[in-house]
Amino acid sequence: MGGVGAMVKGASYSYAVFCGSFLRSPRLSFSIHNKKEKLLKFRSFSSKSTCPSLQPPDVSRLAKTAQISLTPDEIEEFAPKIQQVIDWFGQLHDVDLQSVEPSIRAETENNLRDNVPETFDHRDAMIGAVPSYEEPYIKVPRVLSMD
Amino acid sequence: MILTLQTPRPLSRLPRFLPFSTNASITLNQSQPATCTSPPPPHSQILSTRHSLLSRQFSAADLLRSHLNRLNLTEPHLRSFLHLPDPSDLLAQADSLDRRIAAGEDVGPLAGVLVAVKDNICTADMPSTGGSRILEGYRPPFDATAVKRAKELGAIVVGKTNLDEFGMGSTTEGSAFQVTANPWDLSRVPGGSSGGSAAAVSARQCVVSLGSDTGGSVRQPASFCGVVGLKPTYGRVSRFGLMAYASSLDTIGCFGSSVADAGILLHAISGHDRFDATSSNQIPKFISQDVPNFLSHFVSASSFESKPLKGLRVGLIRETIGDGVDAGVISAIHSAASHFEELGCSVNEVSLPSFSLGLPAYYILASSESSSNLSRYDGIRYGNQVYADELDSLYGSSRANGFGSEVKMRILMGTYALSAGYYDAYYKRAQQVRTIIRNSFTEALNQNDILISPAAPSPAYKIGEKKNDPLAMYAGDIMTVNVNLAGLPALVLPCGFVEGGTAGLPIGLQMIGAAFGEEELLRVGHIFEQTLENCRFVPPIIAEDIAS
Repeated sequence: MGGVGAMVKGASYSYAVFCGSFLRSPRLSFSIHNKKEKLLKFRSFSSKSTCPSLQPPDVSRLAKTAQISLTPDEIEEFAPKIQQVIDWFGQLHDVDLQSVEPSIRAETENNLRDNVPETFDHRDAMIGAVPSYEEPYIKVPRVLSMD
Repeated sequence: MILTLQTPRPLSRLPRFLPFSTNASITLNQSQPATCTSPPPPHSQILSTRHSLLSRQFSAADLLRSHLNRLNLTEPHLRSFLHLPDPSDLLAQADSLDRRIAAGEDVGPLAGVLVAVKDNICTADMPSTGGSRILEGYRPPFDATAVKRAKELGAIVVGKTNLDEFGMGSTTEGSAFQVTANPWDLSRVPGGSSGGSAAAVSARQCVVSLGSDTGGSVRQPASFCGVVGLKPTYGRVSRFGLMAYASSLDTIGCFGSSVADAGILLHAISGHDRFDATSSNQIPKFISQDVPNFLSHFVSASSFESKPLKGLRVGLIRETIGDGVDAGVISAIHSAASHFEELGCSVNEVSLPSFSLGLPAYYILASSESSSNLSRYDGIRYGNQVYADELDSLYGSSRANGFGSEVKMRILMGTYALSAGYYDAYYKRAQQVRTIIRNSFTEALNQNDILISPAAPSPAYKIGEKKNDPLAMYAGDIMTVNVNLAGLPALVLPCGFVEGGTAGLPIGLQMIGAAFGEEELLRVGHIFEQTLENCRFVPPIIAEDIAS
């Protein structure tokens, strides 16, 4: 356990050197709370990117990938907030995680069901929820455009 | 553009108390939180309902009418519910139960118990919107397994409760439909994302309720509303029918006005489900076999020994009582620690050095997984569609129209973190941090039987306080997210008050147990609750109405 503690403290110190203004303890993100002064201190160093090889978020492109049609107003509103949170995510880059196995989730067994098809009893209710249905098709507009 | 955040309603013209509670039964001292004159500890409403019904003291219809009456009076002020069924449907269920009791038939352990269900949990006979316009009016063709099990045991689902859209948020202000008020102070939030479920139990609009907890969404509202909130071990309760937010973190949890009630409800809905591959096969569905043993944990305080928790090792997490936590919260937790010592426990401070990394790791994992999970809302097979001539535009417009701002932002952040080439930088690193945190909990729980901390760094916020500041809102989850990363069970129960509102604002104590250790948590929590003096957690809005 001491090993982990020492590892994190070391990471925080190198982060401090990188960013300049910083609280020594690794409880940095934990001390975010309502009080404005501490929040501003947090924000002032979080605006520096800690991983220069990653491009900052391009909200328009992300919106296209995520299939959400944002208005220009929304893009303008979201961009700084998203940037701020992604920067905050960046603090993980300075933690020494070599030889730590990633966890997919908490420990659970993998319970597979038998590969036997079953009939769903409430098909009508399921079909009834489809916005645009013309028996027996779920109707969609054209998939490909000419340009 | 849909305005998804409701502007706070002008509250200045609302009466300070409702007509049926003209005087608070508690004398208020302006300079300190409410103190009580030795009220009795909470008893299990579920067990007393069963007793009243089987002894014919009350009928199920009587109990239903009394709750509905209170619900109707409080609901215009609280707005806990997104959907309430026709009262005659509920009455029909109650009447049918009364007939079966009269005929001497066996009835389930939840017979006649009114359960509210968070609206991201599917119910076949009521709309399930997830708090989102994209599912406005959607009726699932099935019940979630947890709902199905509760109904099989006789529970009556009294309505669907308000939440932050798809579980994303910590105040319930993120609902596309309405803002729920905290029963302790109508100008404050009930917490989130299961704010409606917490408020409904707090105001006794129902007996118990179901919520979901991905990063604290049952525990933090329990703290804010002065009720018991129980998050089970990941895999204890089937997630089938819970609208997925972050699949590796989501759990269905329970609210009650006593530890016994939250525990009995959890017991009823737990167990392996073949429709959820992550539900554990190893813990038996002990519903029928072990009920007498399980209920024996909830005996009355008069049968406790003098030091009923002697030998229990309690670890107070040092990182949760330092910088950034309200002084009133720290004081309440220290009082709770003293109470544990009086009960015979040894309380020590324990340090979890990686504690602070959990918050960014959680938000990376949760936004990434949610960006994938919410891709199913495309306006094609269910939900609201905005028609367009081309498929891509139909997707884009339906989703833009249907999702609120917070949901959109989290999807975009998740899309970024999972972009080609970025997986190692964000998602994988967050999973590695997850391993560190799991290991640190395992180590701490080897040396302690339970760990304790506040459930939140502060009492309930004012409505609108965290509206435009995502990071400030995320910061409030610091006490709860690590438990989800580790998949452990946790119980929150009200342990004290701080100043605010008209009778103080409740503060919750979080108790964290080992994986699948819910029974121990409930045993300890029950003893703590039953021996806590001078504290009764009934919000002033209903104080007069509640018989003690």
